[in-house]
Amino acid sequence: MFIVDCDVHNNWNSADVLLPYLKGWWRDFYLRGERTGPPGSLPHGHRAWFHPEDFKRQDVQPQSEAEHYAVMKEKHLDANGVDIAILTGDEPLECSTLGNPHLACALTAAYNDWQIAEWLPKDERLYGSIIIAPQDPQLAAKEIRRLGSHPKMVQVMSSHGSTMPYGDPFYHPIYEACAEEGLPFAVHLGGNGGINTAPFANGSPRYFCEAHTLLTQPAQTHLVSMVMNGVFEKFPQMKFVIVECGVAWIPPLLWRWDTNWKALRKETPWVKKAPSEYFLSNVRVSSQPLEAPEERDALWAVLASMNAKETLMFASDYPHWDQDEIGAVRLPEEWRENVFGGNALETYPRLPRPSAKTKARANGNGAAQQNAAV
Amino acid sequence: MAKKVEVCAVGDLPPGAKTVVTVGARRIGVFNVGGSFYAMLDVCPHQGASICEGPICGTNKPVDDYRYEFMMEGEIVRCSRHGWEFAIKSGECVGVPGVRAKTYPAAAESGKVFVTV
Repeated sequence: MFIVDCDVHNNWNSADVLLPYLKGWWRDFYLRGERTGPPGSLPHGHRAWFHPEDFKRQDVQPQSEAEHYAVMKEKHLDANGVDIAILTGDEPLECSTLGNPHLACALTAAYNDWQIAEWLPKDERLYGSIIIAPQDPQLAAKEIRRLGSHPKMVQVMSSHGSTMPYGDPFYHPIYEACAEEGLPFAVHLGGNGGINTAPFANGSPRYFCEAHTLLTQPAQTHLVSMVMNGVFEKFPQMKFVIVECGVAWIPPLLWRWDTNWKALRKETPWVKKAPSEYFLSNVRVSSQPLEAPEERDALWAVLASMNAKETLMFASDYPHWDQDEIGAVRLPEEWRENVFGGNALETYPRLPRPSAKTKARANGNGAAQQNAAV
Repeated sequence: MAKKVEVCAVGDLPPGAKTVVTVGARRIGVFNVGGSFYAMLDVCPHQGASICEGPICGTNKPVDDYRYEFMMEGEIVRCSRHGWEFAIKSGECVGVPGVRAKTYPAAAESGKVFVTV
């Protein structure tokens, strides 16, 4: 089986790795400006909920910058037979929390350059995401166009924390640039601090477990907003990818939404089709953290109604505390090939197709993977 | 049949320390809690990850009001992967009834630590 992992975090020990990619005023700002933590921390507005044991796997503790790739290779890429890993950064998504959009854009640009120069050449399995700071969509669009033609950058990614729902026309310059470059727009859990003051409905929860359980909320807001504001009518070729925001909430939302739309269609006459039709054609969802009810068959029945066989894409979230293991993600046999790789190849046309070599290897490790089937 | 396997010298495993030994195909974590020795199969019953690469720590007791009562300090090993908490002495998973990690007898004899598997 050909495995594409849609959410692999390439982290650093110190944001000082960005120094060679920060020039002039931004280098001065990074070196001498006020910051969130001790030297080496990336300026950002931190979320108000702290994981009591940190959010990394305890068995992944790189001691140097060079070890980040070595450990990823050993403990994830090689150990799990990953054919393609889409890098999603780590702290840079948090630039969406900064008030100064110019600083935010300079930091994401430095990250994107660091990723291209120091990660992608390390391993042919690695592909990149253009991380953007969405608070100034014109600046974000400029960053997308700056790097959009790089053959190994496969998507544009922003945090799901934002100042407004992403369907708002304020953000459309971002989608115009994505469409122009032929790149999907992805949102990933994060950016729930600073200027993004309302990540959770009705105000702030008290505990990390509450916040992490409710991480679905901003994704719901964005999904509904994108369709209701006609984003997929305006940019019909653009895919919208929801990463690390849960999955099983989607079908019940689509059921309610289609019903409402039938009665309220005239309020948004630019929405030409039922919302679930836009979901099926334009939206893809990464699997982690996949809900794990005791009664697993209950999950498949729900996911079947969002056509998960075509819309769900495997993601591990390496190396975070709630990472999903490839061997532990149990899917109906007839979905496996699509979910573990096929759907990502459809969504990200820049990814290489499986070669004869990878196919032969895949047949060789088929027995081990078969054990994880339902 | 049970066999006694030498782990290390007592001095190499002071109170609060842990080590992992391989016995045949099994990885077994060995712990010193307050001068007594305990051993646990290094396979998490959740998803098979290494428990013993995680930290030794304590945890909070279930209580009836909004306060924290720290307990079992130094008697918990927290799985390295997803953070499930196991009592080192019994193997019981704190907070998940009915789940436990496999444990083995361990003891010090003539200045050496042994585990019986």
